[in-house]
Amino acid sequence: MNIPLAAMEQMNVDVAALVTKAQPTEMPDEERVARTKHVFMKRMSMGLAMNLESCINCGMCAEVCHFYMATQDPRYAPVRKFLPLRRFYRRELTPIRWINRLFVRDIRADDLKDWQELVYDSCTTCGRCDMVCPMGIGISETVRLMREGLAAAELVPSELQAVDEEQRENGTVLGIDSNQFKALVAELAAEGVNIPVDKQKADILVLSSAFNLRLFRNSIAGTAKILNKLGVDWTMSSRCFDASNFGYLSGDYPAEEMETLRIIDAARECDASVVIVPECGHAYMALRWGGANVLGRRPKFRTFAISEFIGREIQAGRLRLKTIGNGKSVTLHDSCQQVRHGGLLSEARMAIAALGLELREMESRGRTALCCGAGEGVNLINRAEPLRQKAFSLKMKEVDDTGADSLVTSCDNCRYNFLTGGAKAGWEMPVESLVELVADNLED
Amino acid sequence: MTLLDFALGPGLKWSLLIMIAGLTWRVVGVFLGRWRRDLSRPRSEAVVQGGLRTIITRSAPARELEKNIRFQHITGYIWHIGFFATVLLFEPHIAFFESVLGFAWPGLPSHLALVVAAITLAVLVMLTLRRMIHPVMRMITSTDDYVSLIIIISAMVTGIMASTHMFPRYETILAVHILNVELLFIWIPFSKLGHLFFWLLSRYRIGSYFERKGVKA
Ligand code: SF4
Ligand code: SF4
Repeated sequence: MNIPLAAMEQMNVDVAALVTKAQPTEMPDEERVARTKHVFMKRMSMGLAMNLESCINCGMCAEVCHFYMATQDPRYAPVRKFLPLRRFYRRELTPIRWINRLFVRDIRADDLKDWQELVYDSCTTCGRCDMVCPMGIGISETVRLMREGLAAAELVPSELQAVDEEQRENGTVLGIDSNQFKALVAELAAEGVNIPVDKQKADILVLSSAFNLRLFRNSIAGTAKILNKLGVDWTMSSRCFDASNFGYLSGDYPAEEMETLRIIDAARECDASVVIVPECGHAYMALRWGGANVLGRRPKFRTFAISEFIGREIQAGRLRLKTIGNGKSVTLHDSCQQVRHGGLLSEARMAIAALGLELREMESRGRTALCCGAGEGVNLINRAEPLRQKAFSLKMKEVDDTGADSLVTSCDNCRYNFLTGGAKAGWEMPVESLVELVADNLED
Repeated sequence: MTLLDFALGPGLKWSLLIMIAGLTWRVVGVFLGRWRRDLSRPRSEAVVQGGLRTIITRSAPARELEKNIRFQHITGYIWHIGFFATVLLFEPHIAFFESVLGFAWPGLPSHLALVVAAITLAVLVMLTLRRMIHPVMRMITSTDDYVSLIIIISAMVTGIMASTHMFPRYETILAVHILNVELLFIWIPFSKLGHLFFWLLSRYRIGSYFERKGVKA
């Protein structure tokens, strides 16, 4: 695992300080409402309309949402989280709006302010509720649109706003800039891990993240070892090495577009046919599934999560791993954005099987996996800490129930939450990164 | 024209017309909305199969999810099945359908149909009470939910009263029952009861949406 304690502590201090860094926003209430409605209107689609038409208020979604399950607080029922959007739709868009206007009141700025906690702190847009709703409503995508509406009204929680602003204005995330990136590359080179940087032309452009640089440098080293072992033509860009997209996380769509286009441009510059995203759920969603929609057409390159790339290489027989099983068992945490929303159901499992480890599956896994409680930026929101810790306790239980020796995940954000949440709970479960595990066990 | 004549004549005709026109308007209205083509490279092309599959599989969610909603699931099944069994398999209803459609089908013995109706009604009343008591349900329930429940429950109550001759003037209670059902027809397109159709559409949609990403929803 090998994560320097000092780096972890510094990270926690910096995350706690984010709240003070956001620029204060002043906006008249009417403007907030108008901006939110504008976004709702602009981003409405037939699919979303179907979501908003079909709800029967049965409440079943609440019973599978970790925030409600852990607290039994009815405010956290998923169906409530998109109520302002539903109100807007019912009053202004549905074919029967003229009758609804008699019963449904308009949204107010206070609603938007009240909903900040519901769509940011208490929803990771994990999509577990999407898997149970008897009407088949895509609840998580409606919450995402709520985030966009609130972001337009400048009602993003300060911590997310601060990082979003930092990324938009300085091009850095959590203070990590290209000098630090280059320094890490030099450090790793001194350790014998070679990372090709700024090649003019390469088949594969590899991205990392500020999380990696600050906490999980072995993950970058591991990725490099795997790619070097495979002998592929790859590079990283010193100007565009971070796959994080805080526009996407905070619902700030113009910023999301900017960040996505930044990566697409970097791939175009080196003529890459593949872009590899690090172990990061939202970055995968933003680029793999969002990239083409931002660009308006399919980019020339294909996007793979690093776990997906590893799985494919193992399957193709190009990547061979040492069998390290020896009776050791692991359980796998499926990151919601990569697995349920992203479709990476089998790749990490292939790697675990290739390593000869016994995989002890959790009760909820794959498409029904429980969220760790801290995805989609919840990790950075200070006031959400007690809530996410409660949600995290459900995850701990599922992990413990497997009786596995350690937990493997392929998402740095989840990993950070397992480490910080676990430390707070006095939890002893070792947490491993899939990439690091694979990189440490490449066949000679 | 007696109340019963009205109920069986213009009442029935107009309420059915409003229901069909209203539902068509609502469904077509949604389809006229903006189609947003997802430009991302699909992991699976079998989106139609994915959509159709979810229409069916969503009736039985994964065990680890279903265990949390077992009560709602079972009661939901009981009342939906009970309701449609009563509508379609109660002999007087079949006789009515025969007069309109020209053919009939075997029904349930009347005492059995009554038991089914009574169980359905009891479950519905229980679910209404649950809406009033359960913290989540209380918080999310809207006027639409209560109006829908009241219309359905009263349709069942008047139906049971008519079929058991509980009410001295059979013709009157029958007319009230039919009018109640007509009110239900009229209410369907303007309320959550529109899910009569929408369940198919939204289940299909979520199924194909996730299938595109390679996930069976
Ligand atoms: S499960 Fe679906 S239909 Fe039921 S309340 Fe939640 S969103 Fe609405
Ligand atoms: S997407 Fe996840 S966190 Fe959000 S409401 Fe649904 S189950 Fe809860």
